[in-house]
Amino acid sequence: MAYFQTAKQAASLLTLALCLVAVPFVTNDFRAYQLGTYLLYGVVAQGVALVWGRLGFLPLGQALFFGLGAYVAGLLFIHAQDNALLYLLLPLSILVPALLAYLVARLVFAGQYVSGPDFSLITLALTMLGAQLANQFTGLTGGFNGLANIPQLGDLDRYSSMYFLIVALVLFSTALLSWLYQTPLGTLWLAISQNENRLQFFGFATDKLKAGAFALSAALAGSAGFLYAAQQGLVTPQAIGFQLSAELVIWTAVGGRFGPYGALLGAVGIGLLSSDLREIWVHWEVLVALLFIAVVLYFPGGMAHLLLNAYQFINRRSGTHVPVYAVAPKTPGLRAPPLQSCGGDSGPVHLRFDNVSVQRNEVSILNGLSLAVEHAGVYCLIGPNGAGKTSSFNVLTGRLARTSGDIFLDSQRVTGHRADVMARAGVGRKFQIPSVFNGLSVTDNLRIALWSNRAQARQLLESTTRQWRTDMLDFLENTFTFLADQADKPAGELSQGQRQMLELSMTLLAEPRLLLLDEPCAGLSTAETQQQIEVIVQAVSRLGSTALVIEHDMAAVQRLSNEVFVLHQGQLLANGTLKQMQESPLVQAVYAGGQK
Amino acid sequence: MKRRSFIQNSLALGSLVGADLLLPHLAFAASPVKVGLMIPMSGPAGLFGPSSKNCGELAVAEINARGGLAGRPIELIISDAGVPPAEASQGALKLWKGQQVEAFVGMHDSAVRGALVGVFKGQVPYIYTSTYEGGECSPGTQVLAETPTQQLEPVIPWLSKERKLKNWYLIGNDYNWPRDTNAKAKQYIASAGGKVVGEEYLPFTTDNFDANLAKIKASGADAVLITLVGGASVGFNRAFASFGLADKVTRLGTLIEENTLGGIGMQNAANLYSSSGYFASIDTPAAIDFAKRYGAKFGAQAPALNALAQSVYDGFLLLEAMAKKSGSMDPKKMETAAEGIRFSSPRGDTTMHQRHGKKDIYLAKAEGNGFKVVKVFKQVDAGKNCKA
Amino acid sequence: MDSSTITLLLNLVYHVLVLSLVALGLGMVFGMLGVMNMAQGEFLTLGAYAMVVAQRMQIAAGWGILMAILVTATLGYLIERWLVRPLQTRPLDTLLATWGLSLLVRKGIEAVFGRQYQNITQQIGGSTQIFSVDYPSYRLALMLAIVCGLLMLCLWYKHSTAGTRLKASVANPVLAQAIGIDVKRQACMAFVCGVACTGLAGALLAPLVRVEPLMGMDYLLGSFFVLVVGGLGSLSGLFAGAGIIGSTQVLVSTMLDQTYGYLAVLTLSIGFLWLRPHGLLSNR
Repeated sequence: MAYFQTAKQAASLLTLALCLVAVPFVTNDFRAYQLGTYLLYGVVAQGVALVWGRLGFLPLGQALFFGLGAYVAGLLFIHAQDNALLYLLLPLSILVPALLAYLVARLVFAGQYVSGPDFSLITLALTMLGAQLANQFTGLTGGFNGLANIPQLGDLDRYSSMYFLIVALVLFSTALLSWLYQTPLGTLWLAISQNENRLQFFGFATDKLKAGAFALSAALAGSAGFLYAAQQGLVTPQAIGFQLSAELVIWTAVGGRFGPYGALLGAVGIGLLSSDLREIWVHWEVLVALLFIAVVLYFPGGMAHLLLNAYQFINRRSGTHVPVYAVAPKTPGLRAPPLQSCGGDSGPVHLRFDNVSVQRNEVSILNGLSLAVEHAGVYCLIGPNGAGKTSSFNVLTGRLARTSGDIFLDSQRVTGHRADVMARAGVGRKFQIPSVFNGLSVTDNLRIALWSNRAQARQLLESTTRQWRTDMLDFLENTFTFLADQADKPAGELSQGQRQMLELSMTLLAEPRLLLLDEPCAGLSTAETQQQIEVIVQAVSRLGSTALVIEHDMAAVQRLSNEVFVLHQGQLLANGTLKQMQESPLVQAVYAGGQK
Repeated sequence: MKRRSFIQNSLALGSLVGADLLLPHLAFAASPVKVGLMIPMSGPAGLFGPSSKNCGELAVAEINARGGLAGRPIELIISDAGVPPAEASQGALKLWKGQQVEAFVGMHDSAVRGALVGVFKGQVPYIYTSTYEGGECSPGTQVLAETPTQQLEPVIPWLSKERKLKNWYLIGNDYNWPRDTNAKAKQYIASAGGKVVGEEYLPFTTDNFDANLAKIKASGADAVLITLVGGASVGFNRAFASFGLADKVTRLGTLIEENTLGGIGMQNAANLYSSSGYFASIDTPAAIDFAKRYGAKFGAQAPALNALAQSVYDGFLLLEAMAKKSGSMDPKKMETAAEGIRFSSPRGDTTMHQRHGKKDIYLAKAEGNGFKVVKVFKQVDAGKNCKA
Repeated sequence: MDSSTITLLLNLVYHVLVLSLVALGLGMVFGMLGVMNMAQGEFLTLGAYAMVVAQRMQIAAGWGILMAILVTATLGYLIERWLVRPLQTRPLDTLLATWGLSLLVRKGIEAVFGRQYQNITQQIGGSTQIFSVDYPSYRLALMLAIVCGLLMLCLWYKHSTAGTRLKASVANPVLAQAIGIDVKRQACMAFVCGVACTGLAGALLAPLVRVEPLMGMDYLLGSFFVLVVGGLGSLSGLFAGAGIIGSTQVLVSTMLDQTYGYLAVLTLSIGFLWLRPHGLLSNR
C-alpha cells in the first residue's frame, strides 16, 4: 500500500524538503531561525486550512490550541530540569489541545447539520478567554510578561539545529495532510463542506467527523506550539490570543485554504514578508488588507490557487475554477465488502407511525398520523399539498421534532433518532430537490453512497476503497449511462434531471431496507420518468426493500405500486389500492376541494 | 493536485522566501556604529512611535555633530517593538546579528524587555528607557526608566500633606507594573500616615468603569493612585470626572503623559496629578532649549513631546556618555563604564548607579491647557533594584 | 433604597441602553441580513471622529451628529454595493472581506487624524439630581434619547408599511421579490441604516469614552455577543441580549470585580452560543 496516491505527491514533498533544508546554507542561521517561527505558524495555518478549506467551518480562535501547546510544553521544559520524569508528559502539549478541540466541536456540532457562525464565535470567545486566563494566572503562566527562561530542547541550539526539527514537523504535517486529503476520508471531508445534511443521510456521523478533523488541527497547532516554546524560550499571552488567531485566518485565506501548501505559503509569504517590509514601508499593512479583500472577492483559492491557474493557463490546460482534487485513475473494480447490518434484521422492514403529531405554534403539520407497512415493495404516498407527506419523512428521519406519538422500525422505537442514526438503521432518503455533492465528481458522489454503511473507519484511509463496485452499481451504470460517461464531471454541472437520477442512484447504492423517495421524478421528461420508475421498481425488488414514494403523477403511481396511502391535513385519510382510492368518495372530496 | 503545480507552488514559496531572505545581504560600510532603537510603531502603544522616533533622530543628529560614539558616527536603525515579544525579539536579533548593530536603546513594555534580555544575554549594550516596575538587573542592561520608588517615594508624602490625603484607592490594569507599583505605594502611603481603602486590577479589555467609580465613592477615598495604561486611563479619568468625583478626590498617576491628558480633556482633569521624569512644559533652560530644537527640526505640527518619547533622547545621551568613558563600543567595557556616569539632559542631571538612573522627578498638575509642574524632587534615587 | 443601590441601578440601565444602541446597527446588518460585518466597529469610530471634526470646525454638536450619519451612510452604501452584495451567498467570505475593510478604515483614520486620543467635550455638562443621587446629566440625556429612539423604532417596525416590507424581505426574500418588493433595495437600505445607526452611536458616545482609531474593535465584539445571546433578527432579541450581557457585566463587576465581570460575560456568551445558538428570542 502506498502512502501517496502517486509519485507526484512525493515529488512535491521532496521539493519542499529540499527548499527548506537549503535555507540555512543559502542564507544564514538567523534567517533560518526567523523562517522557523513562521513555519511553525504555517503548521497551525495548515490546521486552519484543513478545517476551513476542506470541512467548511471557520475557526476564529486557532491560536488557543497553539498557545495551549506552547504553555504546556514550556512549563514541562522548565520543570523537567528538576525532575526528568516530566519529559514523559510532553505529549500532553499535543493531546490537551486536541482533546479540548474535540470536546468543543462535539458539543457545538451535536445535532446540527449546517455549520453556522456560532462555532466561529465560540472559538473566538474561547481564545479571548484563554488570553485573559493566561494574563491572569501569573503564578502559572508568567502573566503579561510570559513564561520565560524556557530551556532549549536537549542539544538542539535554538538558533541553528532547532530549525531542522521544525522542518521535520512541517514535512510531517504536510505529508500527513496531503495523504489524508486524497483518502476516502478526505472526500468525506469535502462532502461535509458541500452538503453536510446529505452526508448524514448516508449514515455518517458528521459531528464526529468534524470534531475529529478539528482535533487533528488542534493537535497540529499544539505540536507547533511545543516547538515554538523550545525555539523562542518565551511564551506570552499573545501566543494564545485573538490577534494571532486573526492573522492565521488572513494568512490561510491569502495563501490558499484548499491545501496544506497554500497555508504554508500564506504564513511564510505574508507573515515573514510583513515583518521585514513593515520596517521599510509604513503602508505595508494597507497592502495586505487590500490583497486580503481582493483574494476574498476574486480568488477564494488564495495565492496557491492563483499560481495553479496561472500555470494551467500558461500550459493551455482547461481547468475548472473548482479546486481540482485527486481523481482516482481508472482501475479494475474491487468487489465491495458486504453491508454492515445493524440490528441483524434481514426480512422486510416493519414501519409503523403511531398517532404522530407535530405542532408548530398554531399550525398542525402532522395531526395524529398513523400508518403501517409490513411487507416489502413500493408504496406511494399521495395527497394534496400541505398534507404532511414530506413532513412524515422529516419526522421519521429526525429532521422534524414530533410533539406526540411514536414511530417504530422493526418494533424498535425510533422516534426522534437523528438522521445519521436512521440511515445506519437502513433508512435511505431521496430529497424532493436533488441533493447531491455539487463540487464532487459524479464518481465521488457514487462512491460516498457505496461507502455508506459499508466502509469501516480503517477502510476510509485506504485508497483501494475507492475501487469498490457492487452489482447495484453495475446495474445503475448500465441504465443511467451518463454515470459512467460523465464520471468526472462535477455533480453541480449536471442537468436537473441528471441530478435526480444521480441522487436516486446514490440512495439505491446505499442499499437501504427502507427507501424514502420524495417526488423522484420531479423535473424529468416523460422518457426519463419512465426510466426512473423502472429503476425504482427493479432496484426495490432486487434489494427486497420497502419503498415509500411521494408522488403526484397518477400514471407514475399506478406503475410504481399497488398500495397507496392518501394523506390529508396531517393524517392518513385512506389507504388501499389506487383503484380503491380513485373510487373513494372521501378521497374525491378532498382532491376536489370539498370539506372533510 | 498535480506534481508540476506543486513544484510550481514550492518554487513560488521558495523564491518568495528566498528573495526576502536574501534582501538584507547588501554590504554596509563598517565605520559608523549602528544603534538599534526599539520603539512601538504599531499596536496599543503605537501612538508614541512617531514622537519617540523623532527624539531618537534628534539625539543622533546632535551626538553625531559632537563626534558620535567614541569618535564614530551613529547610524540609527529603528525596529518595531509594538509587536508581540516573539516578533520584537526577532526584529532585535535581525538588527544585532543580521546588521551588526552594536547597541540598543529600547522604549517599550516589560514583556518585550524580558524577551530582549533573553535574546541579548548581556552580549550587547541595551538601554531601557520607559517607566517600569523596577528590578531589572540583567547583565548588559542599563535602565533609565523611572521606578515606582522614584515616582512615589517622595511624591506621596508631599502630596498627602499638600492635599491632606488620608484614604487611598489603588486602581490599575492587571499585570506586573501596576501590581509592583502598588506594592511599593502601600509602604509610602503607610509612612505618610495614610490608609489604603481599596485596590483593584482591571483586565485590559475593560471600558466601563462605573463599578470602580461606585466603589471609590463608597470607600470614602480622597485620593486615587492610577496605574491604568493607555485607553483605560483615558476612559477611567473621563468617567471619573463626569461623575463629579474630580472635585472631591485627588488623582495621582505615574504614567499620565501629554497624549493621555489630551484624551482625558482638561475639562475632566481637575485635581489630576502626574509624577514623571519629564513633562513638555518643564521650564528649566535645558528643557526649554530642547523643546525649541525639537520644534526647529520637526516643525510646529510635529507629534507632541512626552516623557516616553523624551526618554529615548536621554537613552542616547547615556549611550554617548558610556561610549566616551569606555573609549569603545565593547560591551564589557561599556558595562563597567556605566557605573557612576553622570550626564545632563533636558530633564536635569542623571547619575547611574547599579544600572539605574538617579534623577529629578517632577510632580505636575493638570492646569490651564496642559501639565504645570508644581514640585521638583531633585536627584531621587531609584531604590534597591540590584545587588551589585 | 440607599444611594449606592440607586446608582447601581442607573448604571445598569445606562449600560444596557448603550449596549442596545451600539448593537442595534449590527443587529440590523447581521441579525436581519445575515452579513457578518467585521467593520461595524469602524463605523462607530467614524461617527466619533465626525464629532472631532465638528468640534474642530467649532460648529454645533448637532451638525456633528448629522455628519456622522451622512458619512457612515454613504460609506455603508458603497460597501453594500461593492463588497457585501457580490458576497451575498458566502457569509464567511463577507466576514473576511469586511475584516480587511476595517483595517483600511482604521489606517485611513490614522492617516488623517493621527493615532493620538481625541477629546470631545460634553454638550450637557454637570450632574443632575435624580432619585436623590447625582448622576451625570449627559448620560441621563443620552439614556432618554435612546429610550425614545428605540420606542419610535419599535413602533415604526411594527406598524408601518415600510417596516412590514422589510420584515417580508428578511423572512422570505424570494416570495417578497415575487410580490413586487424590491428586495435588493430593502437589503441595501437595511444595511445603510444599520451602519448609520452605529455611526450615530459613535457620535453620541464620543464625549463619554476614549476616542482613537482603534476604539471600534471592543464594540464590535461586544455587539456580537449581545446579539448571539439575545437572538438574531428581532428588536426584542436585541434588548434581551443587551439586558442579559449588560446586567451581568455591571452586577458582577460591582459585586466582585471587573475581571470576574469580563469572564462572566465571556462564559455566558459561550454558553449561549453552545446551548442556544439561535439566541434567547429568535425568529429563526
